[in-house]
Amino acid sequence: MVNMIESGPTRAMETLQENRILRPLREPSTAFGVSLCLMHLFLALFAYSIVPYSISQLFTDGLTLPTAVHWLGTDQIGRDYLSRLLVGGQVALSVSLVGVMAAMIVGTILGLMAGYFGGKVDSVVMRITDTLMSIPELILIAVLVLTFGKSIGALMFVITMVYLPGVIRVVRSKAVSITMLDYVRAAELRHESTWFILIREMMPNMLGLLAVELAIRTSSAILKISALSFLGLGISQPTPDWGLMVQEAMSVVFTDPWFLFLPSIMLSSLIIGINFAVDGFARSFGISTDDL
Amino acid sequence: MALPALSESPQTIYDMIEQSTTLHYIKVDGLSVRYKTGPHTELIAVDGVSFNLERGGTLGIVGESGCGKSTLARALLGYTRPGSYFYSGSVHIGDRDILGLDDVLMREYRGGLASMVPQNSLGSLTPHQTVGRLIFELVCLHSGLHGKAAKFRVLELMDSTHLPDPAELYDRYPHELSGGQRQRLVIAAALVAKPELIVLDEPTTALDKTIETKVLDLVREMQRDTGTTLIYVSHDINVIAAMCERVLVMYDGRILEQGKTLDVFADPSTPYARELVASVPCLSRSHSVQQGSKEPGKNVAGSDTTQSLLKITDLSFEYSSLKGLFTKVTGNPKVLDRVSFGIAPGQVLGLVGESGSGKSTLANLIVGLATGYTGTIELSGEKISGLAKHRDHTLTRRIQIIFQDPLSSLNPQHTVETLLCRPMQIFFGYTRNQARDEAVKLLEELELSSDFLSRRPRQLSGGQQQRIAIARAFAAKPDIVLCDEITSALDVTIQAQVLEILGRLKREYEMAYLFISHDLAVVSSISDTLMVLEQGQIRDYGPCADVITKPTSPYTERLLDAFESQITDSVKKKEKRA
Repeated sequence: MVNMIESGPTRAMETLQENRILRPLREPSTAFGVSLCLMHLFLALFAYSIVPYSISQLFTDGLTLPTAVHWLGTDQIGRDYLSRLLVGGQVALSVSLVGVMAAMIVGTILGLMAGYFGGKVDSVVMRITDTLMSIPELILIAVLVLTFGKSIGALMFVITMVYLPGVIRVVRSKAVSITMLDYVRAAELRHESTWFILIREMMPNMLGLLAVELAIRTSSAILKISALSFLGLGISQPTPDWGLMVQEAMSVVFTDPWFLFLPSIMLSSLIIGINFAVDGFARSFGISTDDL
Repeated sequence: MALPALSESPQTIYDMIEQSTTLHYIKVDGLSVRYKTGPHTELIAVDGVSFNLERGGTLGIVGESGCGKSTLARALLGYTRPGSYFYSGSVHIGDRDILGLDDVLMREYRGGLASMVPQNSLGSLTPHQTVGRLIFELVCLHSGLHGKAAKFRVLELMDSTHLPDPAELYDRYPHELSGGQRQRLVIAAALVAKPELIVLDEPTTALDKTIETKVLDLVREMQRDTGTTLIYVSHDINVIAAMCERVLVMYDGRILEQGKTLDVFADPSTPYARELVASVPCLSRSHSVQQGSKEPGKNVAGSDTTQSLLKITDLSFEYSSLKGLFTKVTGNPKVLDRVSFGIAPGQVLGLVGESGSGKSTLANLIVGLATGYTGTIELSGEKISGLAKHRDHTLTRRIQIIFQDPLSSLNPQHTVETLLCRPMQIFFGYTRNQARDEAVKLLEELELSSDFLSRRPRQLSGGQQQRIAIARAFAAKPDIVLCDEITSALDVTIQAQVLEILGRLKREYEMAYLFISHDLAVVSSISDTLMVLEQGQIRDYGPCADVITKPTSPYTERLLDAFESQITDSVKKKEKRA
C-alpha cells in the first residue's frame, strides 16, 4: 500500500506538507491563531520601543476622546491610552508564562515519579494533588495573595500553585501508560539510573502533550491574572494591565464604553490566538485537547 | 427492514439474484479502492482486482499485513472504511452490481444475503448487552420472528455453533465469554439470516491454536451443511490451505496469483508467493523424525545436567492477591508450579504454551522484571534472585531479553545509535565512539548498513525494528538470550528472516536461547529441546524431535494435532501425484 498519487501541488504547499512542524499552518484557523500569538509576542517583547508616549506621563486632566495626538485618547488620570494598551499584556503574559512554566517543571517531575514508581509514591503525590484540587481556586488564590502580598513574585507563585495539580494529573496518567511499555523494562534491565529513565526514556515521549499543556495553561493563566487584577488581587497601579484597565473602565462603561472594549478585545485576541494555535497543532500531533 | 414484504415484492435482492443466469456467482471486475491521504495524495489499497467464484465455493485471500486483503473483503459487502472510496470496477453478485445498490437494498444485502465475521470479536459485540439479546435483535430484524420463537431460534443458532449450554450463556455479557466462545457467537450472529455469502476476516488470528482448530472445524461444518459461499481472509497460509479450494495471493493491493489452493501453494509461479510459502514454518511429525534421527546421540534434555548454563529448580510463582483492609485472600491459582529445567551453553530451549500458561512470567522472573517466587534460578552455578536493579551488573548483562513488539521495546524518540550504544556504554564503559564502532559491526552482522544509526524506530520496517531489538540484546554480549514471542508480531516472510538470523548468531556466538512462543511450528524449527507448559506446569520436556514424535501428555498431543501442517501434507500429495 505505498503507491502515492500526486497531482501537482504548488511548491509552497509542498514545503508545508513536508515540514511536520509547520504542516498545521495549512489550516486557516491555526494560521490565524499563530499570527495572533506572534503579534502579542511581538508586543510583549518590544512594546516599550514602539509606544508613542511614556506610559506614566500625565498629558491631560482626565478622560479625553481620541485626538490626532492621542489616537485612543487618555485615561481617567490623563495618561496616553494607546501606550498603556500596547504594554498592558506584558506583565500578565510574563507572569503566566513563568508561573505555568514552573508548574510544568515541578508537575512533570512529580507526575513522572508518581506514574513510574506507583505504590506509595503515587499515593502520596496524588493525595496531595487531590487536596490542592479540593480547595476552591479563588479561595486558594485569595489566601496566597493575602499571605504573600501583591508582588509579581507572589503572583507567579499563586499561578504555579493553581496549575500544579492539573499538570501532575495529566503527566501521571501519561506516565502510567508509558511505564507499561517494554522500552522502560529494557532500560531497567541495563541498570539505567531512575533519573535517566524518567527524563531520557519517558519524558521525550510526552513532549507534544507537555507543549500543548503549557500553551493551554498559559492562556488560562492570563485570563486568571486579568480576573485577579479586576478583583484587586492581582497586578496593581501604576503597572498597566488589561484586567486593571477593564476594572477602571467599569465606572465609565455607560458614557465611554470604548475604554471597556479595547482591553477586552486585546485580552480575547490573545486567548483566542493561543487556543486556535494549540488546537491546530494538537490535532496534527494527534493529542486530544478535550481532557486538558 | 420489513422482511415479510420480501416474498411479495419481486424487486428484492433475493429475487434478483435467484433469477440470475450467470455462470459465476461472485464476479469482481477491476475493483480499485483508494484512501484519501491528503488534498493531493491518495493511497491505493486495492488496485484493479478481478476474480470469479461460483456458488458454494470457498475462496481464501492471503497476504501480509497492509496488502489490502481486509479492504477487499469489506468491498465485497459494499463497504469502504472511512476515508476510502470505490475508485473503479464492479462487484457482481449474481448479475447485480452491488456497488450500485441504494441504501435500502444495501442493508438487505449486507445483513441478509451476505454477512461478515470480523476479526476482533470483543470489539464487535456491544459490551452492555447480553450476548443472547444481541442475537435476538438480529433474529427479530431478519427473520420476522418475535418473542419466544425468536429466543428459541437464538438458542438453536448458539447450539449449532457448539456453544456449551446456550441457555446459560444467553444472559452473559461479551466480556464474560472466552475468546473462542465469542468467536463462535459472532459466527452464530453471521448465520442468523441464512446468508449465501459469508466473509470471514481473520476470524481466528487472536485465538490460541487449539481453539482455532475448533473454530475452523465449525466453519467447515457449517459450510458443508448449508452450502454457503465462503470467503476467508487470513495471513496464515496453513489456515487458508485447510479451508479453501481456491486462493488469491495479494501483494500491495494487487492479485499476484490465483487458482486452486493446491496448485498455487504447491507450485507458486511468482517469486513473492514462493517466498511466502517457503517462509511458513512447517510442522509435520514424519519430517521431525528424520531430523531427530540425524543426531540420535545428542541428549540435551534433563534438569540434572551439571554443565547447565541456566538452571531452574522447582520454580513456583503466584500473584499476591489484592489484600483487603482486614482480609487476605489465599489460595491463588499458581502461575508457575514447580518448574525445573536447564539450558546448556549453545543450546536452544523452546517453550510452548497458550496464552496464560505462564511462559512470559517465567521469562520475567529469570531476567529480573518480577520477583516473589519460590525455588532457585542459577546462572553458571551462581544463584540469582531479586529484581534486575538489585542484581550484579555482570549478571544482568549475561541474561538478555528480546521483547515481543519492537515498537514498544524500542523507544520511539531514540536513534538506533543511542539504542545500541547505551548498553555497551553501561556494561563495558565504552566511550561514545567506541560504542559507535561496535554498533556498526553489530549492524553489519545483522545485514543492516551503518546508515541506520541515525534513524528512529518509526523509520524502520517491522523486520528491521526486530533486528535492531536483537542487535541491542547482543550488544551486551550475553550468555543467554530470552526471546519472548519475538516473531508473533511479524509477517511470515519477515519471521523467516528473523529466525534465520537468530540461528546464524547462535552458531557464531555459541549462544543459548530460551525461545518462547505460542507457535509450535516456529519453536520446533529453531529449538534443540522443547518444553510444553500448560497452566504453569510442564507437560512435556525433552529433545525437540522426541516431544513431537512421542508426546507424553494428552495436552501436547492436542497441541500437535492443532498444528499439524495441512499445507505440507497437501504439497506432498501433489508431489506424489506428479
